[in-house]
Amino acid sequence: MGTEASLLRYRTWYAALVRLYPPSFHAQFGEGLKQTFHDLCRERANARRGLAGFALWIYCETLVEIIRENTIAMTEMNKTILRAALGALALLMVPIAASQVVEGWNWELKGFVLTYVLFFGTGMAFALISRKMGAWSYKAGVGLALAAGFVLGWASMVHMSETENQLNLLYIGVLVAGGIGVWHARLQPRGLARVALGMAAALAVIALAAMLTWDVPERPGGNQSGLRGVCALLFATAGLLFRRASLAETK
Amino acid sequence: MPKKAAAQAPLTPAVLHILLALSTQERHGYGIMKQVEMDSLGKVNMGPGTLYGSISRMMDAGLIRVSDHRVDPEMDDERRIYYELTNTGQAALSAELERYRGVLTVAQGRFSYGN
Repeated sequence: MGTEASLLRYRTWYAALVRLYPPSFHAQFGEGLKQTFHDLCRERANARRGLAGFALWIYCETLVEIIRENTIAMTEMNKTILRAALGALALLMVPIAASQVVEGWNWELKGFVLTYVLFFGTGMAFALISRKMGAWSYKAGVGLALAAGFVLGWASMVHMSETENQLNLLYIGVLVAGGIGVWHARLQPRGLARVALGMAAALAVIALAAMLTWDVPERPGGNQSGLRGVCALLFATAGLLFRRASLAETK
Repeated sequence: MPKKAAAQAPLTPAVLHILLALSTQERHGYGIMKQVEMDSLGKVNMGPGTLYGSISRMMDAGLIRVSDHRVDPEMDDERRIYYELTNTGQAALSAELERYRGVLTVAQGRFSYGN
């Protein structure tokens, strides 16, 4: 009875310690760590050997590894942030250069800041999501879906600022619904495939409905339609890539 | 690390022992620890932190992967996660053992090792 109570207590403390691992590591190996600790303690208890010193040794050993894993995670995160910041800066050079040479391109400072934030956010999202799986198809799917989302969001916002076409709200709605779908799918390839294909289908349906029912002045322009068509194609391709990653995962 | 490079790079003692433990069958964390202890005659004694840190890096390098196997008949716990060697892991183990053989051959020739 006393041994069982000790086992439970040591395991509870160990579970609290294991939570100090980086979240991704904890999600992947936390249960295994606790189970292994329990097995080791059980083995020791069955052999009627002392538990306290042994548990203390395991706590120290695990603490050293926790520090190590957190250091690795922080280093990786710093590298990721730096890469995303530099990548966003490189991309920002395009509108900066364009504003110098293209007539009528007169962005205010806040326009450049907003663009940089969007580039940086998209880059960080790619870096953080794509590391969830090693499969190239998953990473490519994430890249395509983010690129399509960025272009669709950007085009809709620009179009909304220039016209009062309410169709753009539908496109923004597709993006919001996609975001909710991604959250619900927990970044698993199977769920992401459904979300991306659903977004592609939604874009196609909206474009078709607009062509059939909207009054002529409010129909999206040719370039806008073409852009949304490309976005739908990118989402569809991303969906197929996620599906491929999902199938590879189950093999 | 690219998988081809991982298969050729020298291994740390912990990684070598884990690969050896998984070379005969898939095992869960505790099973790997016990096998490593047995293989090393009790000389390599890693804790859960070291074990799962190594497992994490080995999975990143493509040396091992999670197996579909779930239930240990003796332990009877569906939550246990089993690990198995990948082809890259098998190649890395073979390459490391070949290196050991090479070193042993040199040592035997130079010092009449074991005589």
